[in-house]
Amino acid sequence: MGFRVLQGGLFSTIQDLGRYGYTDIGITNSGAMDEYAYRWSQKLLNNIEGNALEIMVGLRLEVMIATEIAVCGADLSFKINNISKGIWQTHQIKRGDILSFDKKISGERAYLAVKGGFKIEKRYNSYSTTLKEGLGFRVKRGDILEFESHLSVDKRRVQQRYIPIYPNSLTLRILLSYQYGYFKDEEKDKFFSSSYEITIASDRMGYRLKGEAILPKKGDIISEAIAFGSVQIPKDGQPIVLLKERQTIGGYPKIGTILSIDCFKLSQLPIGSKVIFREIGIEEAEKKMKDFYCEFYTL
Amino acid sequence: MVIKTISVDSVMLYMGDGISPEILDKVQTTYIVLKHIRGVIDITPSYNSILIRYDINIYDHKSIKKSILKSLNSISTHKTDKIEKRITVPTRYDETVALDLRRIAEINSLTIREVIRLHTEQTYRVYAIGFMVGFAYLATLDKKIITPRLETPRAKVPKGSVAIADNQTAIYPKDSAGGWNIIGYTEFDRFEEFSVGDIVEFVSI
Repeated sequence: MGFRVLQGGLFSTIQDLGRYGYTDIGITNSGAMDEYAYRWSQKLLNNIEGNALEIMVGLRLEVMIATEIAVCGADLSFKINNISKGIWQTHQIKRGDILSFDKKISGERAYLAVKGGFKIEKRYNSYSTTLKEGLGFRVKRGDILEFESHLSVDKRRVQQRYIPIYPNSLTLRILLSYQYGYFKDEEKDKFFSSSYEITIASDRMGYRLKGEAILPKKGDIISEAIAFGSVQIPKDGQPIVLLKERQTIGGYPKIGTILSIDCFKLSQLPIGSKVIFREIGIEEAEKKMKDFYCEFYTL
Repeated sequence: MVIKTISVDSVMLYMGDGISPEILDKVQTTYIVLKHIRGVIDITPSYNSILIRYDINIYDHKSIKKSILKSLNSISTHKTDKIEKRITVPTRYDETVALDLRRIAEINSLTIREVIRLHTEQTYRVYAIGFMVGFAYLATLDKKIITPRLETPRAKVPKGSVAIADNQTAIYPKDSAGGWNIIGYTEFDRFEEFSVGDIVEFVSI
């Protein structure tokens, strides 16, 4: 008993915080693209080792058993029985209800969590979906997504000041690292003074950008591991920001890594949006990340 | 060895320049020591480097380096005599499936027949497993067929594509995006058998 999928939508998968400890055999981390919204969906329900549906647009579900849910992230005009409902909050749903995410208003990815999580099997210690490795599945019409019934009387919502407004442009803070020495000063100047557009060839693996080409002195490196948020520069000079389902190893030069919290924000930006890059130092980056995690431990 | 800060929560150990069995041994012994130290979330070895992602609530960019050095100084390892497997990969070098075969020949001023001969007449060692599950990085190609990666990676390279990039060769174990030059195609499907150090040969069919 759980949800019956009436319509799978553009791209809906189950995710958690990702799969760790297996990159040495080539298994990527995967996990929720926007950890900020995902973590809120779990926190609202007090899920300890939960998971959530990562929804782009177009998902429709029929409820088979009453329970408590939380919806956070993109505004995909969430409705219950065709009546608009708030997001960044919990809802009680009952048997026969129809949940829909029909239209993109702002942001790209919404997270629908159920109290206690969906009852699926962990693979390599995680619920996250990575289709290219055959781990998990793409949610489609007719699927049953099982969960247990949990009834609650209270409603919880995220306070307004913690609810992000998704912009149409973003500054990505980058720590220069890896092969940044391969880029001459004038190439780095171009990189920091240009704006780049998010192209349609962007997905959970990486966001491909288009703009002023920046060229390294040398095109190939000895293949090496790729950290979350790495900015890879292939020979056409167009940056690719590598995200949750990135390849574990690669041989194109990388100019640095985007601060993880900015990668989460990037995941909510639609195709055609503009980004610019700004350098950040390691101490400031550490402080920002610690503050981010702290928010979820102390609230 | 040098340790470099890579991201807010990862460092890279560079164990030497270039590709060689000696550097590979160093990488593998270091990897074994560091794999289980506290607070290491992911450890990803490659030809001459090891990326370590650590728990930012335990380490910062300075203390992780100290901790790594301390572990490496206090634990000694030696190479165990692992038996190297020999794996044969029957490959079709045929332009209908080898989309870049002609280009590889042209870039290197060779005939297609010479490219095939150079790719098949030597053996390769598995230097790393990564990119995706079952993707074994094999080196080193004959200098005469060294070919740079594509300028723009392909959105889809079919499963079973045998490909080369720079001085490496590999087989795509699944459909994937990728920037390597496709030199052939194989039905070989035992990707889980590859482990670092194994010897691989390609046979033209």
